[in-house]
Amino acid sequence: MFNRNHKEKAIESVLFSVSALTVVILLLICLFLFRDSLLLFKDTSLLGFLTGKFWYPTSVNKQFGLLPLLFGSLLVTAGAILFAVPLGIACAIYISEIAHPKVADLMKPFVEILAGIPSVVFGFFGLVVLVPIVQNSFNLPTGQTALTGSIMLGIMALPTIITISEDAISSVPSTLKQGSLALGATRWQTIYKVVIPAAISGISAAVMLGIGRAIGETMTLMMVTGNTAIIPSFPGGILDPVRTMTATIALEMGEVPQGSDHFHALFAVGSVLFIITFLINLIADYIKKRYRFKVD
Amino acid sequence: MTETVLNVAQSQKIAQPHIEVEHLNLWYGEKQALMNISMQIPKNSVTALIGPSGCGKSTFIRCLNRMNDLIENCRVEGKVSIEGKNIYGTGVDVVDLRKQVGMVFQKPNPFPMSIHDNIAYGPRIHGVSKKDIDGIVEASLRSAALWGETSDRLKSPALSLSGGQQQRLCIARTLAVKPSIILLDEPCSALDPISTSKIEELIMDLKKDYTIVIVTHNMQQAARVSDYTGFFLMGELIEFGQTRQIFHNPRERSTEDYITGRFG
Repeated sequence: MFNRNHKEKAIESVLFSVSALTVVILLLICLFLFRDSLLLFKDTSLLGFLTGKFWYPTSVNKQFGLLPLLFGSLLVTAGAILFAVPLGIACAIYISEIAHPKVADLMKPFVEILAGIPSVVFGFFGLVVLVPIVQNSFNLPTGQTALTGSIMLGIMALPTIITISEDAISSVPSTLKQGSLALGATRWQTIYKVVIPAAISGISAAVMLGIGRAIGETMTLMMVTGNTAIIPSFPGGILDPVRTMTATIALEMGEVPQGSDHFHALFAVGSVLFIITFLINLIADYIKKRYRFKVD
Repeated sequence: MTETVLNVAQSQKIAQPHIEVEHLNLWYGEKQALMNISMQIPKNSVTALIGPSGCGKSTFIRCLNRMNDLIENCRVEGKVSIEGKNIYGTGVDVVDLRKQVGMVFQKPNPFPMSIHDNIAYGPRIHGVSKKDIDGIVEASLRSAALWGETSDRLKSPALSLSGGQQQRLCIARTLAVKPSIILLDEPCSALDPISTSKIEELIMDLKKDYTIVIVTHNMQQAARVSDYTGFFLMGELIEFGQTRQIFHNPRERSTEDYITGRFG
């Protein structure tokens, strides 16, 4: 008896340590990220970093302006969302409401496989297939543009949006649908006026998580967006090369002397990215919780 | 058995039935769920359908507004005529049919929107103009005896109402599309006794303007609210007639057994 109790306690503490470790690792990452970021602001002002229009990390007059990278990320993400949200929601509606159950069962694994493709493969596909298409369709000097990145990113965000929206739509009680149909509504009226409004918080959470997925993506974007750190014009800049925050870190981190201004600037960019994704996840979580409450 | 049913039906032939069911058969895949049902339901009456669970009464009521169309592998044969027109004939618009034949379900199922929008939903999808909506909402809530409780909070969510109020809201929502027939599929089974008695009063009141068919597990309820009663057993309509006759002088042994509580 005594022994068994000891064993239980031991297992418990092992499991606790393992779970605690993930929290500790997260805290350590934050700590290092923020500590190294803060060192940048010895010489550069925080405001100068956040509102700086030029990213010249290696010229004689070094400038660490976040805006070209931030707008690069936002432009590519916005384009991806414009493309992925309607498509993803339409797909989720089709799978959960319209498709024959057998067709839906066939389609769902494909969506999940799409989520499992490594981003470098997406990047390769984008570079070889999409870049020439964009270049030729718009008659551009290069096909490596924000638009190309948006399309690739949209495709990559699709599985997140489809799976979570589909979940939300499927969990709308069938009694609601029957109630609508019994009033003489058509199937489409029922989907459009009852099912989607009832699932809207789940769908919004799906969109938020899709954005979170898109804004953190690195490899694919590095391969297809051209990596030019200039503030893009709006909306014409969608056809120009851009550089995202993620790509900047990945491209430059290998070459900077450790402890230099440039090194700390990259950490600061990482911190901004971290804060953005953290906020997005927080919002998605909040929306999801509200939606669960509503369904119960 | 079938012969008897027909004889009973014929002996009480109604001059102009609102709903006339002739030789209705229904299958779910291979399994036959309704067997040769024939019944005539007069206008402005309440007809109760009773029988043990799984006897086919809910399946039957769902044939009257073709809700069974939604179920895969469901096959219907026979004729259901409403005001003389076969609703299973060619060229029937299911949307029009369901406008004419409203349905209220077992569990209250208000939409997650305001009280006002729940009622306005039907008229809106059928293209009623904006200026007429408020009048319809008020009239429907009044007919469903819910106006007094909700007139000052039409904008609140329908889900904030009590279960009984929600069910009356669902009845009001059905009335708003101006049907001539209302189907009630065990409308009180999820409600407490006080809410139940309110719904029953409402049913007797609505009879003036509507033909009502109600499925119920509650024998007393059938006896209290209905003019006609049909007893279902294993997919067959065993007996159909005036409620008084069914309860006081059933022709079939199984009807008597069920009513007196010997099985079911």
